[in-house]
Amino acid sequence: MTSNELEQLLAQQPIAVLHKLARGRVHRHFRAGKRRLIELLLQHSSQNLAGLESDLHALMSERPTQPQIAPTPARQTVPRHTAPPPNRRPHRAHEPESTEPGVSLAAWLEGLGVPSPQPFVPDPWQEEALAGLAETDVVVSVPTGSGKTYVAVEAARRAMDENRTVIYTSPLKALSNTKFTEFSKIFGSDRVGILTGDRQDNSQAPILIMTTEILRNLLYDAASGEIDVRLDTLGLVILDESQYLADPERGVVWEETIIFCPSQAKLLLLSASIGNPQDIADWLTSIRPSPCRLVRHSKRTVPLRAGFLHPNGKLTPLFRTAGIPYGHPGQLHPEAKRLFLQYEEDTLPSGRPRR
Amino acid sequence: MPPSIHPVDLIAALREKSLTPAIVFLTSRRACDEAMEAFDHAHTVLPPVRQGAIAAALERVIAQYPSIAEHPLIPTVQRIGVAAHHAGHLPSWKIAIEELMRQGCLDAVFATTTLAAGVDFPARTVVITQSSIRKARDFMDLTIGEVQQIAGRAGRRGKDYVGFAVVTPSPYIDLDVLTKGFTGNPEAIDSQFTISYPMVLNLLKAHPHEQIQAILAKSFAQFQLNQRANVLEGKLDVLHTQMEPFGPRVCTDWITQWHTFDQARRQKPHRHQIARHESPEVTARFHFMTPGRVVGLNKGRGIVLRQYRSKGQKSPMVTVLRAGGAVTESPAGIVTDVFDRLFECTEQQGYPWCAPESFDELLYQLTELPTRLPLLPILVSKESDLIPDAIVQSLGDFPCPTCSSRPACQKDYLMASRLRQEQQRHIKSIQALRTSLWHRFQERIEVLQTFGYLSPTSHLTDDGEWARLIRIDHSLLITELIRAEAFAGADPAVLTGVMASIAHDDDRPGAFPRVSTGLSSLLGQVRKLAESLSPYEDPPLLRADIAAVAERWVSDPSLTWIGLCRSTTMAEGDIYRLLARTLEFLSQLHTLRSTHPGLADSASQAIALIRRGVLEELP
Repeated sequence: MTSNELEQLLAQQPIAVLHKLARGRVHRHFRAGKRRLIELLLQHSSQNLAGLESDLHALMSERPTQPQIAPTPARQTVPRHTAPPPNRRPHRAHEPESTEPGVSLAAWLEGLGVPSPQPFVPDPWQEEALAGLAETDVVVSVPTGSGKTYVAVEAARRAMDENRTVIYTSPLKALSNTKFTEFSKIFGSDRVGILTGDRQDNSQAPILIMTTEILRNLLYDAASGEIDVRLDTLGLVILDESQYLADPERGVVWEETIIFCPSQAKLLLLSASIGNPQDIADWLTSIRPSPCRLVRHSKRTVPLRAGFLHPNGKLTPLFRTAGIPYGHPGQLHPEAKRLFLQYEEDTLPSGRPRR
Repeated sequence: MPPSIHPVDLIAALREKSLTPAIVFLTSRRACDEAMEAFDHAHTVLPPVRQGAIAAALERVIAQYPSIAEHPLIPTVQRIGVAAHHAGHLPSWKIAIEELMRQGCLDAVFATTTLAAGVDFPARTVVITQSSIRKARDFMDLTIGEVQQIAGRAGRRGKDYVGFAVVTPSPYIDLDVLTKGFTGNPEAIDSQFTISYPMVLNLLKAHPHEQIQAILAKSFAQFQLNQRANVLEGKLDVLHTQMEPFGPRVCTDWITQWHTFDQARRQKPHRHQIARHESPEVTARFHFMTPGRVVGLNKGRGIVLRQYRSKGQKSPMVTVLRAGGAVTESPAGIVTDVFDRLFECTEQQGYPWCAPESFDELLYQLTELPTRLPLLPILVSKESDLIPDAIVQSLGDFPCPTCSSRPACQKDYLMASRLRQEQQRHIKSIQALRTSLWHRFQERIEVLQTFGYLSPTSHLTDDGEWARLIRIDHSLLITELIRAEAFAGADPAVLTGVMASIAHDDDRPGAFPRVSTGLSSLLGQVRKLAESLSPYEDPPLLRADIAAVAERWVSDPSLTWIGLCRSTTMAEGDIYRLLARTLEFLSQLHTLRSTHPGLADSASQAIALIRRGVLEELP
């Protein structure tokens, strides 16, 4: 038997057999993964392949009930509860490994494509946010890409219908510019203005777009007695990306803005998913005239699927399930796990997995 | 095995599975640029129809922003349908790429993770190649929120049924960080409230000093501090109930009482041990057993050669010369009489403890002594004998030894004192949590008072009135510079240079144009002042090379954007941001026109000179 054949034969054996073989041959064999173990076995027995072979055959004949195993790792994905081998050691409880089949690539890719154009129907949370805004301040915490802009636009439209000024702030000048273009398209360029530190375009328009710092400065000026009509008619302040509240350098500006925001204006805080939106809402409730409404949901509008692409071009799902197994980071797809281990072995100089 | 997938192969793989359009997040700007270069010799070009669509879309953007007409990436973008989008690019270029993405013309965009928040366009797929990002010169693992922010770009509403996040490894990737990021709940956010000098000035301008504490109490920072304080108060309540069985006993504050008693009791034994082994007579006599003294022993007489205390027990010892020349070491207790006779004795270290001639002399004197010798009258205090237990004497002040609740106190003391310590610790931290913001505010007030922006009654002085309009970073440095008239007579270019060096906070090295002598000497002054202010405000980097870039742009109106970019290795996006930030700083100076007309005038000239070419394209 050549070493190649032997390697294949070893690869077909369950890992327990390999560990038995390695006993006395390989130092600290229990640390190695299957692939690495085979390598080590062959390396250590390079002078005495025949001995390794005979030991292997002896071990194989000890387990005659074990069916011939296909060399593909898909074998590992057979559900355990359908045919549990009688005398195998029980699986470790904490890891639901090998209990469910990993999703196939085809199933993972399923659903790819462009949906037919549908009439736009606002999501329930969007309606809820807008309804809440009719009465009080609203904090929205939803995943990125859920359609926060729709809420902003609709809220701005409603405020403008009541002849109120709307101020929209974003943390970055680049985002302000994007929103300026977007709002100009929706409301007409004469109704949208933009304020930066050194330039004011259409500064008396009913919708004003600015960075949060600029709004803070306006509020300070107003507090110290300068008269600003725009703040008197202010009906709505939209703070986009308000998770910037936690920015080490600029977060304080959001707080100042919210503290000094005139009480007749409604506040709309739009934020990506954060861990404690309830705290923000409670805070607003404690300092604003009316109790704040929190609108949060964590479900993405467009479901997400995670994949793993090995540098050799092989694509596989990252998790066992097609979707994201929320709360279960350990449910890696066996194939992704294998590919990643292989990647680490191939790239790390020591040739050992890091953990 | 390549450490990570080649960009061309990556795009090919994504196209094959129809996972395009995709945003590929890479570690650095350089990685993005290199990925674009990799496509220079790629053979898979787009069909002409799509190339035409990209060209048409680009033309529309270029009409609005002419600065990108000559952009070196345009041929690759058109031919292959991929683009790079990072902070090193001009905003107008980024807008163009975003527009192309929105119209679905591109197959992939290479972007940096650092700006994941600034990438405001969706795609079908995002490709993640790393698990950490550079934050303040250090690589930090992505937080769950950041991973979800990145993944949030995957899946276009109305255009995709599902979005894909594809992880492709590069060296040092940690898959755990990403899987946790995908499946976990985002982190809670914490307030980062800081009290800046302009904040103090503006608050005091609008509100009297007494109201400030109430305003600070409205901050999210105080809200969160209160939350923590409430948790502690909950703990305090629990402690309070635990303390109940340890309430007042015979004495109200029995814990303190027992504590002092216990301390006193613990300290006693050491002092006492010595006293116990020594009889008062010995103690009294020992002082007189000096070398040369004649003493009576129970057998005969002797002369003391030395006195000392034994090493371990510290018991009093004497070395005595006896008749016949024997030198013995014995406890001072064997001395029965101390006679009123003293001989000369030259002492010596070591046996026989006196000089040889003195030894012979003493031996002779000892034999010649008369039979009767007068005794030395030594007063032995009998007092100490009357109170044999020293504890009782010093602990007599405490009621504890005879108190009826002594056993209970002794049993509960450890538990009760631990609880009480915890209680006091909590009370202290609650106090700190409730008042820390206010204390920080008052510290700031004190600094502003010493500099003269605030009167001792915390009202704005004349200087404070205008200084409150400077609401940017390093405001104290800028206002102090204005007061020192550092900018008097400075032309717009020099002013721009100084403001740029204050505004710029990146230490990325590079090659830059030379700085003019006028600017460099002014920068020297600024540095000195910044250093002297460092206890009150972190000094800015004040890079002269950065100042030179901004100065050049203002001083030479014929300089084109491309010319400026060629004079330095800074990326054009960085130059743009530098000038935009300088504009912000200058426009703050411009608000001082009523008090500092000359400076405001110079600033507005500088603003006008900066705003040309690329800088004029966007508001």
